[in-house]
Amino acid sequence: MKCEICGREAGEDNYCKLHARAYESVTRKYGRWEKALGISWKEYLREIAKNPLTGEWAREVAEHLITMERA
Amino acid sequence: MPNLGKYTLIITEKPDAAQRIASALDLKGKAKEMGDNGVPYYVAKRDREIVVVPALGHLYTVAGERGGRDYYPVFGFSWVPLYVAERRAKRIRTWLRTITKLARDADMFIDACDYDIEGSIIGYWILRYACGNKERSSRRMKYSTLTKEELEKSYAELLPHLDFALIQAGRTRHEVDWLYGINLSRALTIAARDWSGKYATLSTGRVQGPVLKFLAEREKSIRSFVPTPYWEIKAQLEINNQVFEAAYENETIETKKEADSILTACVGKDGQVERINIKQFQQSPPLPFDLGALQGEAYNLFGYTPKRTSNIAQRLYLDALISYPRTSSQKLPPAINYEAILENLNKVEGYKKLTAELLAKPELKPNEGKKDDPAHPAIYPTGNLPERVLDVSERNIWDLVVRRFMAVFGEPSIRQSMKVCINVNEHRFYLRGRRTIVEGWLRFYEPYVRSQEVLLPSIKEGQLISVKKVMLEDKFTTPPPRYNPSSLLRKMEETEIGTKATRADIVQTLYDRKYVRDERMVVTDLGFEVLEILKNYCPKVVSIRLTKELEGRMNRIHEGSERREDVLVDAVEILKPVLEELRGKEKIVGEKLSDAIRRASLEERTIGTCPICKIGKLVTLYSRKTGKRFVGCTGYFNGLCRASYPLPQRGMVRPVGRNCRGCGWPTVQVRTKGRRPWILCFNPECPLKEERRERIEMRNMRQGSR
Repeated sequence: MKCEICGREAGEDNYCKLHARAYESVTRKYGRWEKALGISWKEYLREIAKNPLTGEWAREVAEHLITMERA
Repeated sequence: MPNLGKYTLIITEKPDAAQRIASALDLKGKAKEMGDNGVPYYVAKRDREIVVVPALGHLYTVAGERGGRDYYPVFGFSWVPLYVAERRAKRIRTWLRTITKLARDADMFIDACDYDIEGSIIGYWILRYACGNKERSSRRMKYSTLTKEELEKSYAELLPHLDFALIQAGRTRHEVDWLYGINLSRALTIAARDWSGKYATLSTGRVQGPVLKFLAEREKSIRSFVPTPYWEIKAQLEINNQVFEAAYENETIETKKEADSILTACVGKDGQVERINIKQFQQSPPLPFDLGALQGEAYNLFGYTPKRTSNIAQRLYLDALISYPRTSSQKLPPAINYEAILENLNKVEGYKKLTAELLAKPELKPNEGKKDDPAHPAIYPTGNLPERVLDVSERNIWDLVVRRFMAVFGEPSIRQSMKVCINVNEHRFYLRGRRTIVEGWLRFYEPYVRSQEVLLPSIKEGQLISVKKVMLEDKFTTPPPRYNPSSLLRKMEETEIGTKATRADIVQTLYDRKYVRDERMVVTDLGFEVLEILKNYCPKVVSIRLTKELEGRMNRIHEGSERREDVLVDAVEILKPVLEELRGKEKIVGEKLSDAIRRASLEERTIGTCPICKIGKLVTLYSRKTGKRFVGCTGYFNGLCRASYPLPQRGMVRPVGRNCRGCGWPTVQVRTKGRRPWILCFNPECPLKEERRERIEMRNMRQGSR
């Protein structure tokens, strides 16, 4: 199976090792954002996708999740 | 060859050292320079004739017993002249021939190479092979500076034999590193070449692998990083007609709701000084420089890479301006004669006042660190003054070493910190000040001191304070910082992998192999892929614990509690299964590496997103017709975008990773010989270009009307 983002070899969650780590980081941090700003999951993804401090892989995961939700 | 009868032959590591030693030992201070086939040597007259001949660093190296590069594993090796192993080292053949000729009429041999692992091995192999098994009868000169006094003393007090334990330890290190490097690098290179049909040098090694692992771990944390929002509140206070900024008692506020409520409570209210805490603290003088500390300081102050600093320090050492730089000692023994060094430095106008102050002290006692090096003291200025004009970088490093040397003898500085707590409607803000009360060593280390002075006006407890403004700042947590060459070197030192002589080269190799790029080190796709392969198929090779363990064993050879043969056998035992595994997976390893090489090459050429189609990437391309380079969109290949722009044909073009401030298009940096690097925006309609054109026209018009 290929990673849905970069095409590298993927595990069960459809992400490669690198993007799986970023996905874990994205999901883990939502709690802090929700508490800080009271925002929804969708809003959170949009915020981190445009934040310049977000790491490259985490941004790719956020953008991918946004596209998935739209679909 | 000199017609001298029998003489003493001294071997040095470098030509500059040979000249210095010969001049120092010659009774008239004028050794005669001679040459044989372009190889210089020096004849000095003392109690007897002395011939000093230099090496050119390592003249012998480890090489496989069987020729060719196309196979692995390779476990059979021997030490051979450098020209046998490296095509580029042809000059070494003549060099060794001259040393052999000079050895024929010598009846006494002295190894005067640098007293460390590398120097000991250089001297050992020359004495053994080029001089005809003289390593057992040779004596050893030990010195830490190339000053006349120390060289004369070292010659008068020769060590009776070479340090064989140190030689065994160094030899083992070279052999183990060679076994790791040659086998793993060949496995990777051959796998990639056989898959893609293209040759690219890939390498890894006993230390290189674990270092890449540090970098990759950090890179993963950065690239997976998700910032967290927080808020900071600051109050602008007016005290005695001056404006100061005070920070809220909680440095970070985690929710917007809480931050808003604090802001609402404080806006429009004045404050009152509730408490003033004053603390005094001592700041000890800095420690003398070891190589790592000098490299770190030079990077922070001047931006020099560790390798550059190491090279500059080596030049200053060969000029007898500073002591031997490849030391890990933080100690300055009294035997170096502090007073004499300071008295000599007193002749330099810029150091006159400071050295005089130190010389007036009843006792000179340096502030020393814990680290020691059995072979050399910490880095210190010899007191000799430059005999030639130093270039800017040499002058900077020399000045830094001199000022650090003076500073370690200084008194502790005494500083005061002041924390004023101001109550604004039951919310506390802190105003912080810091000032120096007693300068102590700080003045010796100017202008390299980095201590901030924040002076506060006189304030009393209970005093009312006017709050001009309360500000709420949106903040985000930041990712961990990237390693730079200096911090990576520090990390290697902390984890005790590599040696002071090799660490800077390893960092450079990571750049050369394109595993990392940029000053703030970014691991490339190729770097990640090589590491992933090593981690998957041979985790032992990148294990920091194992590397450290091996370092320990090699150090124990020097102490005499470990045998070289045992360490080598174990290294081969570790490598055998690893190489079998790599051979078994050669196809998949080759595919992954080839793919990463292709991506790395594209990454290197990618300038940014195409501003026209906003889909493709702008990359540097070469015209098949004219061979000229230009910038083109990757969309061109599938007919989606025809954006293309000319590039300068001379010099190096490198993506900057920053967009133009005028038009937002990606930019490149152009480096041409003899010119300062400049940033090029290739948008022909960039407003900045238009502005520049207008400026030039106006200037021309003004000049024309005069």
